[in-house]
Amino acid sequence: MKFFEIVGSAMPSLLQGLLKTLEITAVSLVFATMIGLLLCMMQLSNSKVLGVIARIYVDCMRGLPVMVLSFFIYFGVAQALSIRISSDVASVMTLALNAGAYLSEIFRGGIQAVNIGQMEAARSLGLPYGRAMRKVILPQAIRIVIPSMVNQFIITLKDTSILSIIGMVELTQSGKLIIARNFKSFEIWLTVGVIYIVVITILSRVSRMIERRMAVGNR
Amino acid sequence: MATVKVEAKNLQKSFGMLDVLQGIDLEVTEGEVVCMIGPSGSGKSTFLRCLNRLEEPTGGQVIVDGFDIMDKKSDINKIRENIGMVFQQFNLFPHLSVTENIMMAPVDRKKMDKAAAAQKAQQLLKKVGLSDKADAYPAQLSGGQQQRVAIARALAMEPDIMLFDEPTSALDPEMVGEVLAVMQQLAKDGMTMIVVTHEMGFAREVSDRVVFMDGGVVVEVGTPEEIFGHPREQRTIDFLNKVL
Ligand SMILES: Nc1ncnc2c1ncn2[C@@H]1O[C@H](COP(=O)(O)OP(=O)(O)O)[C@@H](O)[C@H]1O
Ligand SMILES: [Mg+2]
Repeated sequence: MKFFEIVGSAMPSLLQGLLKTLEITAVSLVFATMIGLLLCMMQLSNSKVLGVIARIYVDCMRGLPVMVLSFFIYFGVAQALSIRISSDVASVMTLALNAGAYLSEIFRGGIQAVNIGQMEAARSLGLPYGRAMRKVILPQAIRIVIPSMVNQFIITLKDTSILSIIGMVELTQSGKLIIARNFKSFEIWLTVGVIYIVVITILSRVSRMIERRMAVGNR
Repeated sequence: MATVKVEAKNLQKSFGMLDVLQGIDLEVTEGEVVCMIGPSGSGKSTFLRCLNRLEEPTGGQVIVDGFDIMDKKSDINKIRENIGMVFQQFNLFPHLSVTENIMMAPVDRKKMDKAAAAQKAQQLLKKVGLSDKADAYPAQLSGGQQQRVAIARALAMEPDIMLFDEPTSALDPEMVGEVLAVMQQLAKDGMTMIVVTHEMGFAREVSDRVVFMDGGVVVEVGTPEEIFGHPREQRTIDFLNKVL
């Protein structure tokens, strides 16, 4: 009985935190997808310079722990430019820059996984490169890419918890704050954990539904 | 004098150190059916792919309908609309239905409206004997059916010229005939065709001229009668002895 009282009284704050987690994740992923597409186009372009820049960027993001990147932006960049960056903005920047690199690799892999003959067939019909991409390659690449994309989305959602370190009050930080008041570590961390699991499981189920819907007629 | 539709002049192509085409000259006139035969690796596909610039020639000239395809002023996409290609592996678009495969290019390039394009697709499917497969997806078709759809798809742009790169080589033997029949009908209708093939029967019966390639050069050109009846070159004789 005690357990449910504790969890019940913590719930409003936790849900508030969850909302923040979802918001930050969603906004970050919108930017990350744009960054990913841009990097992917740079890597597939004929320009060697653009390709090298994109690759260096991806290597940097791969090599950098999310926590270090968030410190660098929140404290480092803020200090260097003598500005104050809010923890929300720093969080979105961190996650978008990080996930953008991984997404670009996922996109590139997806496009390259489409048989080269598809591009040749489209071009032989007179479609310019961009139209062939748009009408023939991307629709196939998207199907290939969805599972890895959702996987990256989930990783980013979980990475938001790291950003509690720069003071963002998302789900994990909300838990920490509640425990600081009531000292009920077991009950609160259990609840926080369950909330993450439930949300992420729902996300994966929805994505699998989309996948199945899109697969109709294909193969 | 018939119009020249495709002309290769001293066409060369190298992949790095490998000289795959070592100066090919060939003229194909309107309505002509030219079959290209030769051992595997002799450069037949590369030659065909240079004609619509799927490969960039490294030397010489290709002139299609009077346009130098390498000229900066020629619009390669426009030229390709007039020169259809059929591939060994069909390369149908798996995410589109048969009708959508056929409609895609005319709608996208010629701004044909969808209803008209769908109707056209239906006509073409009738022509290749697949009226009942309009709504099927490529994966639901046999190889022979897929290749006939691929032919219909290329024809939808109303090209004057058709290139075929071993269109029956990926097919089970019992499906070769249905594809060759469609091609034979196309030849009869007056299409200008360049066909890379191992089907010697087809080459003998349907083509106006046969080109024998080996080692990146044209070894011998002649009527089917000449090439199959009295080949002049030893390399041609050796090749024909092996395949016939
Ligand atoms: N993209 C490529 N890169 C390197 N070598 C190639 C490429 N395409 C073809 N070749 C080589 O060119 C030669 C001719 O190939 P191809 O034109 O396919 O011959 P064919 O169609 O007569 O069998 C082969 O030795 C092949 O390995
Ligand atoms: Mg070949």
